[in-house]
Amino acid sequence: MHAVFRPPVNWRHRRFRYRLVVWRCLNCGAVHHYATSICRRCRSNRVAEDKLPDRARLITYTVVKNPPVAFEKQAPYIVGLVEFEDGTRLVAGITDCDPEELKPGIELEKVVRKIAEDGESGLIVYGYKFRPVITRSH
Amino acid sequence: MGAIGDELPRLSGVAVHGYGAYIPMFRVKASEIARVWGVPDSELPVLEKSVNSLDEDTVTIAAEAASYAIARAGIEPDRIGAVYVGSESHPYAVKPTGTIVADVLGINSRHLSADLEFACKAGTEAVELVSGLVASGMIEYGLAIGADTAQGRPRDALEYTAAAGGVALLIGKSGDGAIADLEYAASYVTDTPDFWRRSHERYPMHGSRFTGAPAYFHHIISAAKMVLEDGYSLDEFDYVVFHQPNTKFPYAAAKMLGIPAKKVEPGVVCNLIGNTYAASSMMGLAKVLDQSKPGERILMVSYGSGAGSDAFVFRVREGILDKRGKAPLVSELIERKRHIDYALYLKARGKIRE
Amino acid sequence: MRKVYIVGASLLKVDEQWNQSIDSLVTQVVDGLSEVRPWKIDAIYVANALGEILQSQANLGAIVAEDIGLAGVPALRVEAGGASGAAALLAGYQAILSGLADTVLVIGVEKLSDATPEESVFLSSLSERYDLLGFQGVTEAALAAMMYRLYLERYELPQEMVAQFPVLMHEHASKAPHAQYQFKTTLENVLSSPVVSPPLRRLETTAPADGAAAVILCSSDALPTIQHEQVVELAGAASSTDIVSPFDREDPLKLSAAARAFYEALARPGLSREQIKVLEIHDSYSILANLILESIGYSAEGASGLDAKNGMFDYGGKVVINTFGGLKARGHPLGATGVYQAAEIFLQLTGRAGACQVDGAKYGAMISLAGLGSSAYALVMKEG
Repeated sequence: MHAVFRPPVNWRHRRFRYRLVVWRCLNCGAVHHYATSICRRCRSNRVAEDKLPDRARLITYTVVKNPPVAFEKQAPYIVGLVEFEDGTRLVAGITDCDPEELKPGIELEKVVRKIAEDGESGLIVYGYKFRPVITRSH
Repeated sequence: MGAIGDELPRLSGVAVHGYGAYIPMFRVKASEIARVWGVPDSELPVLEKSVNSLDEDTVTIAAEAASYAIARAGIEPDRIGAVYVGSESHPYAVKPTGTIVADVLGINSRHLSADLEFACKAGTEAVELVSGLVASGMIEYGLAIGADTAQGRPRDALEYTAAAGGVALLIGKSGDGAIADLEYAASYVTDTPDFWRRSHERYPMHGSRFTGAPAYFHHIISAAKMVLEDGYSLDEFDYVVFHQPNTKFPYAAAKMLGIPAKKVEPGVVCNLIGNTYAASSMMGLAKVLDQSKPGERILMVSYGSGAGSDAFVFRVREGILDKRGKAPLVSELIERKRHIDYALYLKARGKIRE
Repeated sequence: MRKVYIVGASLLKVDEQWNQSIDSLVTQVVDGLSEVRPWKIDAIYVANALGEILQSQANLGAIVAEDIGLAGVPALRVEAGGASGAAALLAGYQAILSGLADTVLVIGVEKLSDATPEESVFLSSLSERYDLLGFQGVTEAALAAMMYRLYLERYELPQEMVAQFPVLMHEHASKAPHAQYQFKTTLENVLSSPVVSPPLRRLETTAPADGAAAVILCSSDALPTIQHEQVVELAGAASSTDIVSPFDREDPLKLSAAARAFYEALARPGLSREQIKVLEIHDSYSILANLILESIGYSAEGASGLDAKNGMFDYGGKVVINTFGGLKARGHPLGATGVYQAAEIFLQLTGRAGACQVDGAKYGAMISLAGLGSSAYALVMKEG
């Protein structure tokens, strides 16, 4: 099969994947994970760069037991739906916990983790995941 | 390193503004490893060690530790002019760890970046380099990071201790808000082949008992003696932190130097997390900073195989009081743990070959 | 007013066809259309989702046209994920209504058995946004599982209210010679099958399958000139799209695209939902059966499970769904699935559905989805 992780693609998305840099519609507030000049929700062209916060709440989650290519060795792993303060939702890997510890509504914090690697010789992909909060609020 | 005149290698005007530690949450007990190899568990080098999970490596550990250093310093990442990451487990053989860490942290592109390698002292090398850049005025702030996901060959003595963790120091000019002034830095290195890993090899080789007297102890003690020769007396140090490849060595080195164990004990974490290699002595420093008071002095001496030691003297400042609580303490990171058995340890470390 | 008819339909058994290629599947299925004469085709639409990845073969329009001896005829490959087949049918319908074509051959073909299990999971997730989800190993099954969990929580339902749909599908497929899985199963079996992504179990999902189906569409103008044994009117066809991630939609449990497509397709011939007696729905995951039936109004929100339990969707009920087993049990050869649905309704409305026959069905409809409802296609058929 074709390569799963192409360097230019991964590179292009790095700011979103590392820091949750998004493009937010100044009209309706919808966020986009890609650079855009048209809001996907309201079609406004007033879109500006923004950053999602590092904290979010868990809405629901599941476990991937049948993994896709490049994730074989990580299975089983948790993925969850999280919601930020502004209502933006994101599906992300949930790490450093067992499914039993997760309850809807718990607070999670963003970390950057190794997402996958393209075999022994290919690219290593890093990106956001969420985990139960260990840092202090300040 | 020879002192040129009376003032050097004393530093002035360089301080730690932020520090951060990160320890992955998995632990494997030394007794669990001993069980697999049929080794009696009466004389194991540590109680347990930290193990990075499959989604953690030196990049992610360095980035998290550095994010805590920045959080404590309370500065904008854009003011950071250097990111040096010392490790013996950089994820890429060629492709810097530091550039990934800097992008994760949102540090702008105008900064110096280099990956360092000097076994377990690669992190403190970064501290020396960044301190020099700050002292020279080339940069305002710099990150010195030691991070590792160390690998020991299965059944080897190092398997019990080779651990994962990272510590970052955010270094800038002395002044308001500083956590600790860096008063002194000097190094002592020789060509001593006590431990190495050849290119393309997965696991390191080591000289077994040769890693002791001529290697660890010779360099640690020689570097500590330099500090004393350069004008400090042992009484001036409230805490002494040595590289900790196992629980015994730092105490044994202290004993040779006539340093009471109670000055060493606050910085010893090895028994509970193992040897975090490039982060090892810095982890001890972070733990001491977690509990020290303004005015106290800390002697830190790292050790890296191959071989060398970097010696530093830190003087704790008022800034510690406000900043300590802005990121997880080492003790909290040690307590955040989940034990795994040897099979899950093999999975987490990617040791299961297909 | 110009109308569109289906004058022939052919389908192969859905199976792991190790010995068959895309070319051989296509030739076999088209061979099943020999009752239609003369063999004059104005346009070919080939539905296929993954040929360029799994068989390293793109440009299936020309390839398939040549395979069936029709090189020279305009031919085009249509990809819309799991709805590719329905999208090709819509394209054919539009071509005929536009007046530019009188006869259109729509072929759906897919060979999924060439993939490894991990590749299958990867490929089945391609209809979701890769840069947002796929890159981090979030599978489509995991997304469906989270919709499933939200559904059970919102309506405070036991899992059987979802998991009984596969039981019904296997019951229907047990009488369908072309179905991939003709065994019957029980709720206990479904709920004790291996967990894919909790709460979703293996028997609530589909498995890789190969298959091909084909139909011939013709215009009302051309109908008198074409020899055929059976005819069904393709009375309405429509499609709609939605925000791609279910969780970015106003309500992740509402398949608005499916509802819009369905009602628009019904509106063309002026039919009402109640007239539809045969309904093929896109149950690639069990939960989608609930969500489709509720979104298009057959059941109240949260009530489709109870309605199913009461027999509303089985023979003798208000509408029979997935009369040959649906995606779950007839099988889901991705790009071909929509054409299977159309061929199956054709069989029902022409009285040739054998043991699966729904008596007295005059109208049938199908709903086909790409991804988790980001694209939806609906077709409505009427006795000829």
